[in-house]
Amino acid sequence: MAAQNPRHDHHTTKPKDLHLPISRVKTIMKSSPDVDAVGPEPLYLVTKVTEMFVIDLAKRAFNSGKNNTLEYKHIADVVQEDDTLDFLREIMPRKITVRQFKELMAKKAAKGNKSDDDSSDQSSDSENESSGSSE
Amino acid sequence: MAEKLEDLNLPLTVVTRIVKEVLPDGVAISKEARTGLAKAASVFVLYVSSAATNIVKSNKKKTMTGQDVLEAIKDIEFDRFVEPLSEAFEQYKAHMIAKKSLAGKKKEETDEIEIIEDD
Repeated sequence: MAAQNPRHDHHTTKPKDLHLPISRVKTIMKSSPDVDAVGPEPLYLVTKVTEMFVIDLAKRAFNSGKNNTLEYKHIADVVQEDDTLDFLREIMPRKITVRQFKELMAKKAAKGNKSDDDSSDQSSDSENESSGSSE
Repeated sequence: MAEKLEDLNLPLTVVTRIVKEVLPDGVAISKEARTGLAKAASVFVLYVSSAATNIVKSNKKKTMTGQDVLEAIKDIEFDRFVEPLSEAFEQYKAHMIAKKSLAGKKKEETDEIEIIEDD
C-alpha cells in the first residue's frame, strides 16, 4: 500500500520542516475576529516563526539559568527583561512567595500613604517623588 | 472554529519536543516551564497574526499574504527571524510548486496541470 504512493519517495510530501500542527495554528489565528480566511502561505510562515520563537525563548531562558534545568522563573525573567516580549508579561508574571508579596505590599503602603488603590504604578511613582522633595 | 478551549492552545507535547531538540541532552524542563512555553507560543501566534492583520488593513487589502507576515515580524521587532524564515519560505514555495506539478502529472493529462491558483 505504502509503495503505491510514489510521492513518498521524493521529498515532496508535506513540508517536513514544520513540527507544530498547522491546523491548530489556523484555529488560533481564526479565533481573532479580524481574521477570516488564512491562506497556506501566511499559515506556513506563522507556524514556522512560532517554532523559531519558542526555540529562541527556551534557549535564552535555559542559558540564563544555572544547572541543567529549565524552570518557569527563567522564562519569566527573560520575558520581564526583554521589551519585545512585552506581550507575554501578563501571562508570564514573575512568581513571588506569599511572604515576598506581603513585604511588597507593606512597602507600598509605607511609601504611598495616600490612596494608591486608584492610582497606577506610574502615578504613584511621581507622587513619591513630589512627597520626597517636600520633606 | 474552536470548539473546546484547549483548541486555542498549542499542544504541550509538541512544543516540549521542539524545545528538547535544541537544548542539550538531559536537560530537565519543569512542568510549569513546559506549560509556560506552550502558552507563550500560542499567544505569539495571535500576536503575529494581529500584527499582520494591521498591515493588511493599512494597505487596504483583504487577503493576508506571506509578505504581510514577514513585514509584521519586522514590525514587532523580531527582525532576527526574518532571514532564516525567508529562506525556509523559499524552500516551502519551491516544494509546493514541485508537489503541484507532480500531482498534476499523476492525474495524467486528463486535467491540464493547474499551477498555483493565486499569487
